[in-house]
Amino acid sequence: MSNAAEQVEQEEIDLTGANQVIDKYLDMHGALMPVLQEIQEVYGYVPEPCVHLVAERLNVYSSQIYGVLTFYAQFHLEPRGKYIVRVCMGTACHVKGAGRIGDTLKDRLGVGHAETTEDLKFTAEYVACIGACGMAPVIMVNDATYGSMTVNKMNEVIDKYVKMD
Amino acid sequence: MVNLTIDGKKITVKKNATIYEAAQEAGIHIPVLCYAKKLLPYGACRVCLVEVEQMKGRLIPSCTTPVTEGMVVTTTSDEIQKVRKTVLEFLLVNHVVDCPVCDKGGECDLQDLTYEFEVVKNRFEGVKFDLPKDEVNPLIERNMNRCVLCGKCVRVCDEIVAYGSYSFINRGFETKIATAFDRGLNCEFCGQCVSMCPVGAILPRPFKFKARPWQLKEVDSVCGYCGNGCTVTLGVKDNKVETIRFNDKTGVNDGNLCIRGRFGYSYVNSEERLQKPLLRKDGALVEVSWNEALEAVVAGFNGAKNAGGVGILSGARLTNEEFHLLKKLAGTLGSTNLDHSGGECYKGLTEGLQETLGLTASTGTFPQVEECDVILSIRSDFYETHPVFGMVINQAVKRNEAQLIVVADKKGKFGTLPHAATLLAKPGLEVNILNAMAAVLIEEGLAVTEGVENLDALKASLAEYAVDKVAAESGVAAEALRKAARQLAAAKKSAILLAYGLPYSANSKELGIAAANLSILSGNAGREGSGLYLCGEKANSQGAIDLQVLPGQGGLGAQAMLAAAGEGKLGALYVIGEDPLTSYPDRAKVEAALAKAKFVVVQDLFLSPTAEQADVVLPAVSFAEKDGTFTNAERRIQRVRPGVTRPGEARSDAEIFTALGALFGSTLSYTGPAAIFADLAQAVPGYAGIDFTAIGAQGVVWGGEQLAPTRKKVVPVAGGKPVTSAFQLVTGSALYHSGTMSTRAKGPLAVIPEPYLELGREDAAALKVAEGDLLKLKGNGVELQLKAKIGNRLPKGVVFAPYHFASAGINRLYRGEAAVSVEVSK
Ligand code: SF4
Ligand code: SF4
Ligand code: SF4
Ligand code: FES
Ligand code: FES
Repeated sequence: MSNAAEQVEQEEIDLTGANQVIDKYLDMHGALMPVLQEIQEVYGYVPEPCVHLVAERLNVYSSQIYGVLTFYAQFHLEPRGKYIVRVCMGTACHVKGAGRIGDTLKDRLGVGHAETTEDLKFTAEYVACIGACGMAPVIMVNDATYGSMTVNKMNEVIDKYVKMD
Repeated sequence: MVNLTIDGKKITVKKNATIYEAAQEAGIHIPVLCYAKKLLPYGACRVCLVEVEQMKGRLIPSCTTPVTEGMVVTTTSDEIQKVRKTVLEFLLVNHVVDCPVCDKGGECDLQDLTYEFEVVKNRFEGVKFDLPKDEVNPLIERNMNRCVLCGKCVRVCDEIVAYGSYSFINRGFETKIATAFDRGLNCEFCGQCVSMCPVGAILPRPFKFKARPWQLKEVDSVCGYCGNGCTVTLGVKDNKVETIRFNDKTGVNDGNLCIRGRFGYSYVNSEERLQKPLLRKDGALVEVSWNEALEAVVAGFNGAKNAGGVGILSGARLTNEEFHLLKKLAGTLGSTNLDHSGGECYKGLTEGLQETLGLTASTGTFPQVEECDVILSIRSDFYETHPVFGMVINQAVKRNEAQLIVVADKKGKFGTLPHAATLLAKPGLEVNILNAMAAVLIEEGLAVTEGVENLDALKASLAEYAVDKVAAESGVAAEALRKAARQLAAAKKSAILLAYGLPYSANSKELGIAAANLSILSGNAGREGSGLYLCGEKANSQGAIDLQVLPGQGGLGAQAMLAAAGEGKLGALYVIGEDPLTSYPDRAKVEAALAKAKFVVVQDLFLSPTAEQADVVLPAVSFAEKDGTFTNAERRIQRVRPGVTRPGEARSDAEIFTALGALFGSTLSYTGPAAIFADLAQAVPGYAGIDFTAIGAQGVVWGGEQLAPTRKKVVPVAGGKPVTSAFQLVTGSALYHSGTMSTRAKGPLAVIPEPYLELGREDAAALKVAEGDLLKLKGNGVELQLKAKIGNRLPKGVVFAPYHFASAGINRLYRGEAAVSVEVSK
């Protein structure tokens, strides 16, 4: 009713999972972090309606939760792809051509850092040193590491995951 | 007490003072940016660094460091100045240099410090922020490129307002202040963050390009809206109120205001203000001279003499002096039909309290509530009717861990505070709940009964209100009722809060008595530091009661006057500063009264719907054009001062009453507020001995901080019956508005521009309605259409509509019941 601010359409999601997580922690003091982490496990990210739900049920301001979510890199506020492609941009990888690897990913999937393809299959992330500098340049797809990447090899890896479900 | 030395000066301060506070007390200047008197120590900006001999080797933030015995502090040295200057240089790395267009220019702390420390060039260079401005809402502009991350806005919105709009988001260089999901601001719009921000990052939009701060004339006065009686400082330029400025040096509100006080002043400057008297000629209201208008009033009132007399219905935003003159005028007219604001709604105060405690005002003052360990708030709307008192309660709860018990028919902000319990009851059952709590006190032997009259009668009546029975009909858990009663009984200092106003006319007397009974039985009555707080709706509701703007011997009250007028039994109706057609319950009754009364005079600021029906309309002036006093809900008498001059030929109520009085042969002449106050101080018990000219910045609380009950008599009162229909309508105040006047003010109107029907999510889902859909509301044989507003506050089956808007016609449907049984459909 207030016409003082923009009206924001909220996505519709099933809050059962989030409610279950909150139920578990309801009586625990300072449970915000584990609640958010588990909600992210359930949904793959932290959907906005869950933030408001947590705010109401744990009696924390939504703004504070948003502050926490944007402070820690581990939280995601947007849906993420099935395959998270992490391209290392650390010093060693950078020197050995990580830039081109990133560009290839962008050309093929049309997504840059922290973006997700529309079919929710891939999320690209440029990250700092993964700790495998010996194999630079390095990428990771979910838990699998691929070293000594070239543009060709990058294309092959992408092809492989495109074919997978 | 602690002794220490600051800059060679020996001083003694209270134990928990900080170094900064100690220095301030000693008149030693330390620059600050993130410090604010009313917020908890924070220490974010480092501008206030000082040297402490006992902690050599590093500089200490004076605003967060408590003093210790024997401390030796140096506040200025070359090194300290150098560090402070560096701090500023760092701030100026990010901060845009757009002072020429910033409204804060001239009163910006960063600008002042930059000047003080002569920062003319910056050794550091960095990327300036380029963040978009938040201009989505009409009241508050946020430009985070000017933010210095002092956190004052975050802290005030949490610590004092308890709304929690803001947070620090992101991290490192990217850190900024934002709302959840970094959206535009959509909140209570109280403007506390505006007044706290030390730079131009948060600004009042209505003030944009209106004046440079130093061009404003400052006038300290009292907010004209609610009984909280916040002091405001009007910023005036070219005879217009252009802004309300921060001022924590006067009054009891610490510079805190609500949206109405901070952003609701524009009606004063409105083009629509009445400027000349109007007289009905050939069916139409036409402008006439004051002489002609007053002659018409004299003729009309004289004609009414043998036709039932004059009925006088006053608003509650006149000054005490004006009420006094009105009483005299009523005497001159020979009328005892005198009442104010709805009459019925103040019965709790004027009759109920008189009967039980022998007084008709709050027994304590607002600051005392901060020290209470248990607070019982009756009706969750309390923070909506008296928002700034609500902030005091927030602080009592958040800082001093008071237990808060809320008896309400909807969930509110109070219920979200720590240690708060909401006894959420079906509408109209507050008396039942208070009775049940009284029953628990007696049953469990917790009641204070010494010197209490009438106890046996009460005991007998309470059989009806056994906890389990009340629990079953009200929906509040029996255990919660018992716990609440026990908490209240165990309190060392308790506060019982009750708000009165036009939309709460039902059971008002019963409610006042039930609250007083509980006050007596729980030991609250008369105990040092405890109090029963009866808060009237309007700026001078308490003054109206103190000055006895009430029916005299054999006279009619507001409702009876309207009924009599409707039956053609009242010769004339004189309505002053009130719009009954819009705001009184049962519009049909008011319509009939206005139609059947032979002669109607309305005295007001605007041509209200009621004024449109009048035979004579007299243009009056607003609080910002008046000199005099208001008495707030804690009995504090405060000075109202004129900031601007009146529009056109409008006259103050005082002047109009005197002029009319003279025409009826009264010899009373209006010689200004001081003389009238001296006169009224002799007539009003409690005001005796108070000198108008001695009323200082904090006002004068008549009767003292603690008003002792003159008797303790418990009185049986009957509770309500639960309404059983699927939907029940309650009406009341919306936080953003106050009475009908705020609907003429741009700020409140920008936030809540139109009437609405609020319902809970569950009901909305069942009815398949979305926010803003049109809903049909049927009840009492009337059907209305209102836009839906969906929220979390209302339990299933309860709908709420604010009563402020003329167009809504809520009072066609609402006839003064505690809850109206209604049908709601799409
Ligand atoms: S206007 Fe009031 S409620 Fe809104 S963000 Fe500022 S302090 Fe908070
Ligand atoms: S917006 Fe103002 S009050 Fe808030 S952190 Fe920034 S400078 Fe401080
Ligand atoms: S409306 Fe009431 S609470 Fe708000 S500023 Fe005015 S007096 Fe204070
Ligand atoms: S820099 Fe890429 S793995 Fe270390
Ligand atoms: S005023 Fe002390 S650190 Fe900001």
